[in-house]
Amino acid sequence: MTYPTELIKGTLKTIVLKLLADNKKMYGYEITQKVKELTADKILITEGALYPTLHALETEKLVTVEVEYIGKRVRKYYSLSPAGKAKTREKVKELANFMDTMSALLDIKPKLA
Amino acid sequence: MYRISDQQIDFILDDIRAHGITMESLQYDLLDHACIMIEQNLEDSGDFEQYYATVIRAFYRQELREIEEEALLLVRYGRHWKLSRNSFFLILFAVLIGPFIGYDGVWLAVHGSETGWGLPVEIWGSTLVFALFPLLLFLVLLLTPERLDPLIPRRSLILIGIRPFIKIVPPEPEVARGQ
Repeated sequence: MTYPTELIKGTLKTIVLKLLADNKKMYGYEITQKVKELTADKILITEGALYPTLHALETEKLVTVEVEYIGKRVRKYYSLSPAGKAKTREKVKELANFMDTMSALLDIKPKLA
Repeated sequence: MYRISDQQIDFILDDIRAHGITMESLQYDLLDHACIMIEQNLEDSGDFEQYYATVIRAFYRQELREIEEEALLLVRYGRHWKLSRNSFFLILFAVLIGPFIGYDGVWLAVHGSETGWGLPVEIWGSTLVFALFPLLLFLVLLLTPERLDPLIPRRSLILIGIRPFIKIVPPEPEVARGQ
């Protein structure tokens, strides 16, 4: 089962920021594959959603970009800026809080392992 | 593993540009992404152009340029100057009353020693009169319950030019502030 885009869209910035916090630096394709792997194919990030998000994070100076030349093509590695690290903590906390609220709202009982 | 040639890289880059991606950084992102997908999935004897068409088609819903449009939209949204309602009223108050207080200060500095450090009635009187409106706004803000604030609707936008410049955000709901 893959989650619909509408569910993921609002959390994409948080997902990308957290992955960059955990993996130091990543390029676009790597991010999509990491998400796919961590969620057992339940979350598939499309190129059409990922790159606008990375571009917005870059404009907001939350991520920095390092460029690596692979022959004629360019690979852009994204990593968190100091402002991005602080923003990641804030966004993760906000999302965790939101999930608690949704659990309470929808009366979802936590699953016992 | 398929190996992409320089000519094929030029072909992809030209195609990305031709489909409306004008931002260089986005062109490089999409080029690298497409190259990796081709190199990882296309067989050595595979048809490059046919496979590339499949790969790039998966990047968008209707047109490739929607990726750039979305990027610009996100950036534009992020550029809003967000102000809380309280900050907005504080700034409004400062802007409206500030010039009068400033004028009073300058007047005192210039003429204060001659008049015994007292302001003439027309000066402090006008300051008081013109301060009344911002003071009234401030009082209404402080005293009126959130939903009944008659001066400014919730989530209002200040329009300067053709698009909202300042977005006034309502106070965060209790849930978002943490338990």
